[in-house]
Amino acid sequence: MDQQADNQPGAESAPLVEVVPLGRVNQTAAAVAAANLQAIFGLNAAVSEPWPEPTYALVPTRGQYDAGPILLALAQGGPGPPLRLGLTGRDLCLPFLSYVFGEAQVEGRAAVVSLHRLRDAAQGGTVPRALMLERLAKIALHEIAHVLGLVHCRAPGCLMNFSSSLAGLDRLRLGLCPACNSRLAWQRRRLLGQASRAPAGPGPPGP
Amino acid sequence: MTAAMQVLVVDDELAMRESIAAWLRQDGYQVAKAAGGAEALQLMAQEVFDLALVDIKMPGMDGLELLRRIKSEHPDTLVIIITAYGSIESSVEAMKAGASDYLLKPFDPEQLMLLLQKMSGQRALLRENLALRQRLADGECPGFGDIVGRSPAMLAVFGRIEEVAETEAPVLITGETGTGKELVARAIHSRGPRAFGPFVAINCGAQAEGLLESELFGHERGAFTGAVKARRGRLEMADGGALFLDEVGEISAKMQVALLRVLEDKQFQRVGGSQNLSSDFRLICATHRDLSQLISQGRFRQDFYYRINVLAIHIPPLRERLEDIIPLSEHFLDKFARETGKPRAHLEDKACQALCSYPWPGNVRELRNVIERAVLLAPGDKIERRQLTFLSPQAAEEASPLTLAEMELNHIRRVLQAQDWNVSQAASVLGIDRGTLSRKMKKAGLRAP
Repeated sequence: MDQQADNQPGAESAPLVEVVPLGRVNQTAAAVAAANLQAIFGLNAAVSEPWPEPTYALVPTRGQYDAGPILLALAQGGPGPPLRLGLTGRDLCLPFLSYVFGEAQVEGRAAVVSLHRLRDAAQGGTVPRALMLERLAKIALHEIAHVLGLVHCRAPGCLMNFSSSLAGLDRLRLGLCPACNSRLAWQRRRLLGQASRAPAGPGPPGP
Repeated sequence: MTAAMQVLVVDDELAMRESIAAWLRQDGYQVAKAAGGAEALQLMAQEVFDLALVDIKMPGMDGLELLRRIKSEHPDTLVIIITAYGSIESSVEAMKAGASDYLLKPFDPEQLMLLLQKMSGQRALLRENLALRQRLADGECPGFGDIVGRSPAMLAVFGRIEEVAETEAPVLITGETGTGKELVARAIHSRGPRAFGPFVAINCGAQAEGLLESELFGHERGAFTGAVKARRGRLEMADGGALFLDEVGEISAKMQVALLRVLEDKQFQRVGGSQNLSSDFRLICATHRDLSQLISQGRFRQDFYYRINVLAIHIPPLRERLEDIIPLSEHFLDKFARETGKPRAHLEDKACQALCSYPWPGNVRELRNVIERAVLLAPGDKIERRQLTFLSPQAAEEASPLTLAEMELNHIRRVLQAQDWNVSQAASVLGIDRGTLSRKMKKAGLRAP
């Protein structure tokens, strides 16, 4: 695991990120996402009670779930920590894209990650559970970085590289390049400043 | 990193439009949205877009019609057509009408990313092409083959070019009119890490203040009378390359402040615009003026001077490097022979002596003109003294008055040149002894080429 030097883990008491299982999601997966947000980005994260399955986002013709309405539901799902990360076992897509591993509101509040394709191995079959969880951590960090205003980066190995294949995802480090790391540190300080001015209470159950 | 591509997403379906725009923002693009053809054209009249993603099926003006309008009114904007399965024929039609590519909905993320990277490459080529067209329109010759010199002073300039080319710091090139400041600027650019980016030049002395502002910063539609459409400025065109501000000493105090702000904040706005734009360029400035003197007269800002004068190169006037006159003349003779298809002409001895005796107030540019005229006038392949037409010596003196010491030095140079740098013979012609001449030569740094 590539620890980021600038991000001091979890000094805050109130969570900055709420990790929300959407429907039936493995508890370990949610805990891994929260732990990595804390360890790598220094963002205090807490796993909430599960929200219902996002059936409202089902695209019947495709058998997939549109990430757009899920992001809206997460963002508008009442007060709570400033950032919210949804986890789903469903296959996510966008109206114009055949699939996505995750999606985020740039400089918004919400991000969502799908576990659906993360067990797949390149030659068919499944990968070990540890690799699946590492992939999950990478996508969760990538999407939350988008929420914090970071955009895709082309520095080799940086977690903010765009990657639409699992092989590409596996090549990325579990960390940011120095430029993205300093942007993240700045955004994190800004977020902490905001959070200290308006302390957030625990949010109500989601939709 | 170069400035982000400006992308316009045109789709009548709200969810599609919003999700494409949101996804593109994650990749760092500047995105605008339009729900139909009319709205898209309205936006394009106000802003310059690098790329438009256009859905083919829209009520009213469909994607194909919009594509044709874009290609006719904004030919530099790249267009990708978005289409559904079953409309392959329309996609083919779109490609024929000038679309750069098309995508079938829903597309694979990797496919979209590769296509956007391809478009980004095309945009870089387009911008370079634009800059080249501008250079050719200005009558300039690309490359830096016209910098010729064997004198110690020019060898020092070449060395300095190599040194500064490797850095990204601003460069100030000084030298009299006609010494080749822009050629030196191009040489710095072409040897540096941004060589494949555009080299965008502007002569600040040749523009009225309002026009210079619009040329540099660009303008939005309706920013002033006659601004019928939005236009990119030279700052934007130089993105990824170099911006060359010639005759920077002529810039008004107001424009100096505006440029200083750009250099410090790395952001600017078009005239009449409110959107902050950024451009990543290397700044190279040139002037024939003594800027420190202008500062002491209150005509040039000291803070701006320090910002542009991080690295300095001075090009000596031709009269201080007589040994370069014949090599330069030979270079121009080669060049004009190639251009005119005439046999390569040769200089007769008396013509050489005349060239070396003239003070060249217009420097290399004047020498080039004299040689060009001589090539045209010469009936055969020999250039005689009478085919060389100079500015009158009196005019030369008026153009560049010399001190007594400079006149003495020039006279010594001419005599040495005429005597093939034979010091004894030159001393005899000058009426002084050999030792005195040697001392004067040593003091002035004069030596045979």
